[in-house]
Amino acid sequence: MLSTEKRYHTNAIGIEPFDKSYGLGYQVNHADWSPFPRVNDLRQTFLDRPYDIDVERLRLVTESYQKHQSCSRKLQCAYAFENVLLNTKLYIYDEDLIVGEIAAPAKAAPIYPEFSVNWIIDEIRHSPFEEREHDKFFIRNDKDRQEILDLCQWWKGKTIDDHLQASLDKDQLKGSEVGEKIFQTNLYHYAGVGHLAIDYAKLMKVGYVGLIKEAKEHLAALSKRDPEWASKRDFYLAAIIMHEAARTYIKRYAKLAEKMAQTEPDKKRKTELKQIAANCYQIADGTPKTFWQALQLFNIATTLIQVESNGHSISYGRMDQWLYPYYEADMKKKSLTKKQALELLEVEYVKMNNPTKLKDKGSMAVRNGRGFGGESLTIGGVDREGNDATNDLTMLMLEGSVHTRMMNPWICVRMHEKTPYELKTKVVQCIRAGYGHPKLYNDAPAIKAMMRKGMTLEEARDYCVVGCVELSLPGKEYGWHDAAYVNTAKMMEMVLNGGRSFNTGKQLGPDTGNLAEYKSFDEVLASVDKQFEYWTDQMCSSLNIIDSLHRQLKPLPYVSLFFSDCMDSGKDLTEGGAKYNGIGPQASGTATCADSLSSIKQLVFEDHYCTGAELLKAIKDNWEGHDILYAMVNSSKVHHYGNDDDYADDLFKYMFECYCRHITGRKNLRGGDFRPGVYSVNANVAMGMNTHASADGRKKGEAISDNMGPVHTDAGSHDICGPTALVNSLAKVDHSLATNGTLMNLRFPEDAVAGVQGRDDLLNFIDSYIAKGPMHVQFNIMSSKTMRAAQKHPENYKDMLVRVAGYSAYFVELGKPLQKDLIQRTELHF
Amino acid sequence: MSKDGIVFDIQRFTIHDGPGLRTELFLKGCPLRCQWCSNPESWKPRIQWGAYPSKCISLEKCGLCTAACPVKGVLNFTDGKLTSIDNSKGVDYSACAEACPSDAIKQWGKSMSVAECMAVIRKDKDYYQRSGGGITVSGGESLMQSDFVAELFEACQAEDIQTCCETTFYTKWRNVEKVLPNTDLWISDLKQMDTKIHRKYTGGGNELILENLRKLADLNQRLILRIPVIPNVNDDPVNIKATADFILNDLHGRVETLQLLSFMRLGVEKYKALNIPYGMEGVHFDRKEFQAHVEQIADYFNQRGIHCLVGTKDKEVEAVKKN
Ligand code: SF4
Repeated sequence: MLSTEKRYHTNAIGIEPFDKSYGLGYQVNHADWSPFPRVNDLRQTFLDRPYDIDVERLRLVTESYQKHQSCSRKLQCAYAFENVLLNTKLYIYDEDLIVGEIAAPAKAAPIYPEFSVNWIIDEIRHSPFEEREHDKFFIRNDKDRQEILDLCQWWKGKTIDDHLQASLDKDQLKGSEVGEKIFQTNLYHYAGVGHLAIDYAKLMKVGYVGLIKEAKEHLAALSKRDPEWASKRDFYLAAIIMHEAARTYIKRYAKLAEKMAQTEPDKKRKTELKQIAANCYQIADGTPKTFWQALQLFNIATTLIQVESNGHSISYGRMDQWLYPYYEADMKKKSLTKKQALELLEVEYVKMNNPTKLKDKGSMAVRNGRGFGGESLTIGGVDREGNDATNDLTMLMLEGSVHTRMMNPWICVRMHEKTPYELKTKVVQCIRAGYGHPKLYNDAPAIKAMMRKGMTLEEARDYCVVGCVELSLPGKEYGWHDAAYVNTAKMMEMVLNGGRSFNTGKQLGPDTGNLAEYKSFDEVLASVDKQFEYWTDQMCSSLNIIDSLHRQLKPLPYVSLFFSDCMDSGKDLTEGGAKYNGIGPQASGTATCADSLSSIKQLVFEDHYCTGAELLKAIKDNWEGHDILYAMVNSSKVHHYGNDDDYADDLFKYMFECYCRHITGRKNLRGGDFRPGVYSVNANVAMGMNTHASADGRKKGEAISDNMGPVHTDAGSHDICGPTALVNSLAKVDHSLATNGTLMNLRFPEDAVAGVQGRDDLLNFIDSYIAKGPMHVQFNIMSSKTMRAAQKHPENYKDMLVRVAGYSAYFVELGKPLQKDLIQRTELHF
Repeated sequence: MSKDGIVFDIQRFTIHDGPGLRTELFLKGCPLRCQWCSNPESWKPRIQWGAYPSKCISLEKCGLCTAACPVKGVLNFTDGKLTSIDNSKGVDYSACAEACPSDAIKQWGKSMSVAECMAVIRKDKDYYQRSGGGITVSGGESLMQSDFVAELFEACQAEDIQTCCETTFYTKWRNVEKVLPNTDLWISDLKQMDTKIHRKYTGGGNELILENLRKLADLNQRLILRIPVIPNVNDDPVNIKATADFILNDLHGRVETLQLLSFMRLGVEKYKALNIPYGMEGVHFDRKEFQAHVEQIADYFNQRGIHCLVGTKDKEVEAVKKN
């Protein structure tokens, strides 16, 4: 078993009576975040490794497709997956306790030619990955480079991307990523879909062997009278091949660990390697018996989903719930201590960062980062009966997070009225550590949203978060979340300008009027409605085409078998085999639209401060030469969203509901429907770059508003009444209408949350937030580092408030010396 | 009869002046003139206007303020931008502020009824109740408008909203008495025990203040005291000892917390906007050394049995982390 040296200073935190401390469970005397030297080492090794591109998956998959050209697509997929698992190199890293990667060394990105290759060839030739400004990747040598080019060449014409280009009509193309980027469907145009959480509880209970047995029974029971017999047969056959391959792959790891143990000089490590081997044998041939084995099975099952497809946000479900029985059993048997459990969790956390994904330039712009992205780990919340579900693992999982402080896992804490004080306190402690985790989800609106998707109350209570903020039902939902990024500011441009682009002057959408001619504000709103209808038509029909191509070209039998409804129906996820099916495109720039409408309503139609033609001209001229109007729309004299002011908040609500209305209820090909999300993550910046000036006082190229947040333009922040007012504004919309999620970032200075009182203030603030009903919140706690960055790039930190006893000011507006003083002061505070 | 207040700012989500999450009303007018004051716009009891040159478009491209101004030649422009407004001439600049499209003219002070204030206060009631917060009136000297505060606090209490009064106590006891029945917590300064020095830096002696504090302590009211620690003004051992003696002897130690607020160069931009010279311009010191000094002062008070913090917040959590 694990070593437990005395110098570890962890006091694991529980809600059990034996431990009443709510801190983060670490005291200092060690240089790194984690009290476990092993974890710090693994973390450091991870950080030091390069971001390589690995050719092996591409090679093995291509080889298999070439060999199996005549069988059904499902079987082709199965053989390719099998070929990878039987032949890929294996890696067991020093000090690691859990094995399994995504068919590439840690941190190296494999290639998934099934989805697209044109951009790979093009970028290697013309804008090499090594020379990117950010998100660089490195091809190891020229031989690899040539091999990638040659192999990709074979795939030309065979990928989803190729088929898609041929299937979209000109109206769809002009609005999409290849056109004006009014909506961007990049992610699933060029890569896999992901965004799911499997039923880990079932997997743990029956193991690979159990799933294979069940599939075989279904296969045997198939009737030839069933018109879908062949397709179902191929599904089961493919899934069985793949799950058998997984078992073989696990045993390959077992053997490697055994071999390494034989030559390992260090006694302690030797024992660990032997245990790794034993764990692997156990889960290959049966079900996990210990906490460690459960984590091992979890790691293999999850990474293999990422070998099958490069869809991102393969999330971990309610991990504190499904993993708990193993923790509890080991604890009761006294074969595990909290310290050991925590170390194992932290080792796995670091490991979750290993998978990386090479993305095309366009996708990178809307969703940067070299990880897959969005792998959420949900904890807390209520159980299926509505009782609080917090347990010791909930606490340990938060602690592991603050000890590792990496991108993954992205911890999501479900909050509700009865969330225990101990958990809330620990959540606040983590938030105050300032590394951006965890994000908080609000059970009440989230459960309501799940029920809007047709789920029962019990099911709805079992939701988890996948990706950034999307709600999903583990093992039952294939939600196609994150399906497209919608630039609503561009749609608003069509409203102002008769369906024409400001950038090119070209007619893009229908002419529904223009700002110079509208006679009333109602006419403006009617025009908004028509443009939104037209563009959501284009986008949703495009997404249905992409969806059908995934079904046709890249079924997913491996991951489908983890979904009971696929197992029962013989239908792959891409065929609508899941119980709940969705497509969730998300809107960006809602506040940009709302404040634009506010300017128009107030200045043109109510105050007659200017005419519609004048405002239109000013926007067309990018506000140049219109200083007075520019100042006015950005001033506190115009109503702006985010100030608890009904005038502007009603317009935000109108835009929010307008988008949701145009998405909700549209049918998709998998028997489900479309679900709106209102968030941009950070795509609002790239979207703003190719968006002309807007009526809210934004200049050309500036970011459009982010997520559910208020407008910030170069001229200043539009929300000026502080966080309570902002939250009150935010709470005026019914978040559950956005069944694909909403996102809210709030930023606080460290000073505001310092000390016992600061902790309690933040905690109480969160309590009020949850009670008021927004769906999600994530906090940004400003550090001195941030302040220094703000000094360098004040343009990015306009909204940063500093508060010192009865005085408040925008940091960037203060003189340099005071800024310096504040920075020093804050450092002294912490 | 209902009396309006002259309010110069309402800040929601304040966390430093009293417990929990609060809304803070800043009332205009103050009898003292502390040189380190960070809110010089609060001094005059009447409405004033300030200029924010960085926001001004320019006289040439805009000039709407001058066009709207009832008196010519009172708006001062430098390099084409509005740099200051002369408040000494008794001109009403509201038309200028109204005309300015860019928030470059800020009006400090607005006449507000209790009902209008309550409409804003009520919006965050939920936050107060969950956090044990409420409202704080500050200033300026809040008790210069004691009738207004008394009525406002009564309205708050009627709606179950906790009240805190931040005052210099440089006021007649009868003003305190008006507010007293509906005040849950008091916050006040002990700037300097030597009345001569007090007068030198604040423009007034401390006798009235100390007397009011004694009366308050006798009535066993909840009180937080603060020392704005200013280098070479009140951070010497003599004053610190005298302060401790006063708290222990005259106030019977009835102070919930003594907060030491280290001097910061706050409000400079407001002095500029108001065209008032900044009294602390010449004060230079090493922040780290000074902060250490302030910590020592806190230690001294704590040793003498007075619960003392540097800043407004307890640092217990950080202390745990460091042990
Ligand atoms: S109205 Fe405002 S922006 Fe225009 S010149 Fe006057 S101060 Fe400047």
